[in-house]
Amino acid sequence: MSYRVLVKEDSSGSNIYAWPVFLILVEEMPEAVFIVQYDDYQGFLVKKRHPSTSRLDEETLNLLHVAHEEGDEELRLHDLDNRRYVSFKSREYPGWLVGYVLREETDFGPNRELYRGMSRLMLALMQVSPEGVDLNSIIRHERTLPELTKEQRLAKIYFTPSSALLLERLQEQGVESARALNLWLSNQVQTDNINIKEVVRPLLESGVVHVEIIEGKAEMVFLLRDIFGYRAPPVESLLNAKAYMPHISDTYEGYVKDFFSPAPPAKGYNPTIPIDEPDSPIMEDRERVFEVIHDNFNYIVLESLRDRPKSTNMISEETALPKDIVSDVLGTLESERIAVHFEDEKMWALVTDPTIKTFMPEYILPTIARRVSEKKLDRDAARRYLQLLMETWSEKND
Amino acid sequence: MIRGIYILGQDGNMVYSKEYATTDSKSALIEFVVSLAEFLSSVDLEQKTESMGLSLSRIFYTVHNPFTFVFVADKADDAAQIEERMGQIVEIFLKDFARLAEANQPLDGFEAKVDEIAVTMVKVAILGYAGVGKTTTLHLLRGETLPLIHDPTIGVSIKKLPEEVQNANIVLWDLAGQSRFSILWAKMIANAQVVIIVTDSTLENVLRSKKLVSLVKEEVPNAKVIGIANKQDLPTALTPERVGQILGVTTFELVAIDISYRDRLIQIIRKAILEGKDESKAS
Repeated sequence: MSYRVLVKEDSSGSNIYAWPVFLILVEEMPEAVFIVQYDDYQGFLVKKRHPSTSRLDEETLNLLHVAHEEGDEELRLHDLDNRRYVSFKSREYPGWLVGYVLREETDFGPNRELYRGMSRLMLALMQVSPEGVDLNSIIRHERTLPELTKEQRLAKIYFTPSSALLLERLQEQGVESARALNLWLSNQVQTDNINIKEVVRPLLESGVVHVEIIEGKAEMVFLLRDIFGYRAPPVESLLNAKAYMPHISDTYEGYVKDFFSPAPPAKGYNPTIPIDEPDSPIMEDRERVFEVIHDNFNYIVLESLRDRPKSTNMISEETALPKDIVSDVLGTLESERIAVHFEDEKMWALVTDPTIKTFMPEYILPTIARRVSEKKLDRDAARRYLQLLMETWSEKND
Repeated sequence: MIRGIYILGQDGNMVYSKEYATTDSKSALIEFVVSLAEFLSSVDLEQKTESMGLSLSRIFYTVHNPFTFVFVADKADDAAQIEERMGQIVEIFLKDFARLAEANQPLDGFEAKVDEIAVTMVKVAILGYAGVGKTTTLHLLRGETLPLIHDPTIGVSIKKLPEEVQNANIVLWDLAGQSRFSILWAKMIANAQVVIIVTDSTLENVLRSKKLVSLVKEEVPNAKVIGIANKQDLPTALTPERVGQILGVTTFELVAIDISYRDRLIQIIRKAILEGKDESKAS
């Protein structure tokens, strides 16, 4: 990757600004890129290629594919017939593979994350707008899709139904053996084919649970964090609008106020009201918050709007997402009462900021005490649970 | 190829659905189909068929009150051909099954008619251990020059059979037999209507191949499985009957390097496809 300063000049030849850009040098670019979909009937289908004249034979495609079947690694480097290939396959996009043919001089090692991010972006775009995927542009401008953020990992739990069920169980029990959880879940979903490791994975990856073998006896699953999804006021965006965009600031503030604290008798949005009360923000709304955060493109646009109002072009440039995708996402966010549009100014702003936070499951402590006294929970496991909660929530750590 | 057929009734309830390929986003697709039917109830398509692109698929839809018909095909498919097939299925449904659907009765016999029209591709997997003659069998079926040197297949080799069976293309999947590729077998036989287990007719190989029969029966229980006792020209070859007894599936003799076996083998595959269809109709 090279770093250059691009100097723009006006018609008189004077420099008007210097703009740092990252451009990938030709010798660092892969020689060819392929997006391949595996189809149960037709086999390997090359859905996109760049350049259009490049070809990949069936044998090479097979070898790239087989390598991924042999292990879990998302990104792999292959040396086949004295040519180097990189392939990317992710559990997020089953059946899809991105293949790169590297140039002799391409230094792959330091660019692993770049290839991973570019591949992720290509596959995510293929799912929503396959026609608009411009492989050349993605490679030249090193456009990438970042890994899931902490918030997205938390949202993911709710998109794995068994994991969400398991979380509910842990919210009641605090700690439980993996075996007991497996039995409970099998009973709930009426099947014996539960892969408890796969179910626990989203909870583990988001730091919501911890798994440990206690005293060499049983593998225990501990609930360390509980999750709360809600709409926060877009404070930073409001402050920046006030400071730098006075022409929209008042209207913008009005929109936010209407949502959170409208004039009586309307009550506005208050996420702290318990869900069984009639004024509480309904459960479905929380699910919508998780849904918006879980979707990659929604989340990228949301993140971009968190600091201040922006135009579609600005968001597209900042996020490296094609303009049509940004427009689609903004439309979705507007219908979900997350974004508002200032048509005359061609600007978009957050009216609510979907947020996911974690908190200490203090409420579980009396249950733990009761379960220990009723001998339904091993003392060692309870002691370890308290220790883990203290470690997780001590000031030093959280 | 047509990947899914959905017929929805008056209140958006699913009257009939059939998927021809596994998909990871099935629930999202069904949700979309239901929303589409709801939307279509507010517009008048005048019984015409329209279509729209959805990611890598093309969705065809038409409304014949009170039913909404939605077909999912590949974007690359010939739209006129899909519309024609859709028209045939809609006609059959309205003529013979609409009343049953309205009365919430089972649509006996509809599925078989749908399959006859909608199935445009039949997958035949050729499975067997290394060196038994799978690729030679593939060449024989395609009427190609037979290879003189053994060149092991890497992963899978996918080719079409020049002949069609009941207007459907036959796609042959020649799966590599080397043990390093065995991890692919279970996945790659998915959705196969016919699986051909090729053996070299030696006792050792036939006994090993029993494992393949078990794998196929577990992974694709609805597939028609046939055995091939290849290399019948060799003196050590077991008879096809004996191979069939050991494998527990109907087995046919073959000398894959002998072109005179081609027509016979094609007939065997054709019969297996048709028998497979009959069995699925009966079930």
